[in-house]
Amino acid sequence: MIDLNLNYELTKKFIVKFIEEEVKSNNFKHAVIGISGGIDSAVVTYLAVEALGSENVLGLLLPYRLSSKESLQDGLLVTESLGIKSETIDITHIADEYFKIAHIEDKIRIGNFLSRLRMNIIFDKSREFDAIVLGTSNKSEIMLGYTTWYGDMAAGIFPIGDLYKTQVFGLARYLSVPEKIINKKPSADLWPGQTDEGEIGALYSEIDEILYLYLDERFPKGEIIKLGFDKVKVESLLKRMFSTQFKRTFPPVCKISQRTFGHDFLYPHDIFK
Amino acid sequence: MRFKISLAQINPILGDIEKNLVKHIEFTEKAIVEGSEVVVFPELSLTGYTLRDLTYEVALKADSDFFKPLKEISKNIDIILGFVEKGEDKITYNSSMYLSNGEIKLVYRKMFPPTHGLFEEMRFFGKGNSYKSLVTDYGKVAVIICRDFFHPTLLSLAYLDNVDFVFAISNMPLRGTKGERPHIQDTVENTSNVYTNLFGFFIIYVNRVGFEDGLGFFGGSFIQGPTGKYIAKAELFNESLVTGEVNTEDIYRKRVSFPLLREEEKEVLLRNLEKLIGGDND
Repeated sequence: MIDLNLNYELTKKFIVKFIEEEVKSNNFKHAVIGISGGIDSAVVTYLAVEALGSENVLGLLLPYRLSSKESLQDGLLVTESLGIKSETIDITHIADEYFKIAHIEDKIRIGNFLSRLRMNIIFDKSREFDAIVLGTSNKSEIMLGYTTWYGDMAAGIFPIGDLYKTQVFGLARYLSVPEKIINKKPSADLWPGQTDEGEIGALYSEIDEILYLYLDERFPKGEIIKLGFDKVKVESLLKRMFSTQFKRTFPPVCKISQRTFGHDFLYPHDIFK
Repeated sequence: MRFKISLAQINPILGDIEKNLVKHIEFTEKAIVEGSEVVVFPELSLTGYTLRDLTYEVALKADSDFFKPLKEISKNIDIILGFVEKGEDKITYNSSMYLSNGEIKLVYRKMFPPTHGLFEEMRFFGKGNSYKSLVTDYGKVAVIICRDFFHPTLLSLAYLDNVDFVFAISNMPLRGTKGERPHIQDTVENTSNVYTNLFGFFIIYVNRVGFEDGLGFFGGSFIQGPTGKYIAKAELFNESLVTGEVNTEDIYRKRVSFPLLREEEKEVLLRNLEKLIGGDND
């Protein structure tokens, strides 16, 4: 058993500073967050309110007809308990119209489309609200690529992008996020009955320990298996990680000139601080 | 001799040397009000850290007129700062500058610019190859930069040079929040504990704060005396000017009770070092 727990007081303080400064250096005062009713977006919203003040954070709730009713209720629990502005836009009509025209039944395509549709609305609203989009992805899902490319992975900054899911739970408890949200089974809620752990085929407790050993401790695969982790799981997680590398890197640009973005146009992101 | 040193734990604006100059002047004026003899800024305090291609655009020659206002204030207080140096050899360096009595007394080029993992300094900077020290009114000093601090070989030169004060200016990003304090902060202080104890000099560590491209610099600047006592400590994450009073007699007292330096044999060290270089084990 590897203790992945952090000093959550220190971690919170650091992330709050990160949000405060990175929002400013991206020339924004406000932030917008897609609130799903799950733990990740709840944690990011709690942190954002602490960093920017409740009046500067907008929560967007974007339910689809197959989303669990609980998700919407739990999302509203977050916005109401923090006293932030929120808007609820049901995306059923827009999405179903397209699914009908394009004859889409494949649930992966449906899931990706919903994720990108939400991204579209969040970015549109970010313009209306003059706000940066806060990403809510955590390290476990980012590293496994358990995300939709240009969907939930599209954001201005990632406040909890370096926290494993296990650590997000710990931070949520420290932040006093409602128990009801903490105790739910993690789910992308793209179709009924979907759970992260069911889809990935391992529990977050195992996933995070394996990822931690491989990434943070730089243990080779064989060493991790020797520690008693299931060989099939270790191999499938690492395969998942590397097969989704494209989601975490800038797409290759065909290098032709002397100076090319993606290759040797090397300015910092925060250049206009 | 007792005197005060101020630690200017600032958050520089990335790539904006004009605004950072203003910030240097403001913090220096505060340090003067506090009655300090020396004010110390972090590594690359005039430019910020994650410059990448901006490195070349913010580079300054050490004799640039840009430093005039700081030279002027240095008639009232010694100033240590960090900047991107446009070398006369046409190489860009991550350098520190010591200003005093209206003049630049020392320019030191970082000898160990890290280039691994998240660090890519040697992609943009040349590598300094010269340890330097300076005799001031209050003692002999060396100014080293960030990763230099983790090289005991460099600190050993300062020790053999009988330095009284090592100024370690830094841009260290936070890594590790498992413990009570950032893991990297423990690493720095554990290192400083060893150096002050064995080398018997003061360490003045000044780290910046603020975020650049997701890297958060933790601050935690301090003055540690040769007896191991922390004389001043700045908080985490926030800009601040912290002043501490040092007593140079502490160096003498330490070296009476633990007289390591007088046991050293530089010639013997040199001969052994020469045997190592190019030897069977090199």
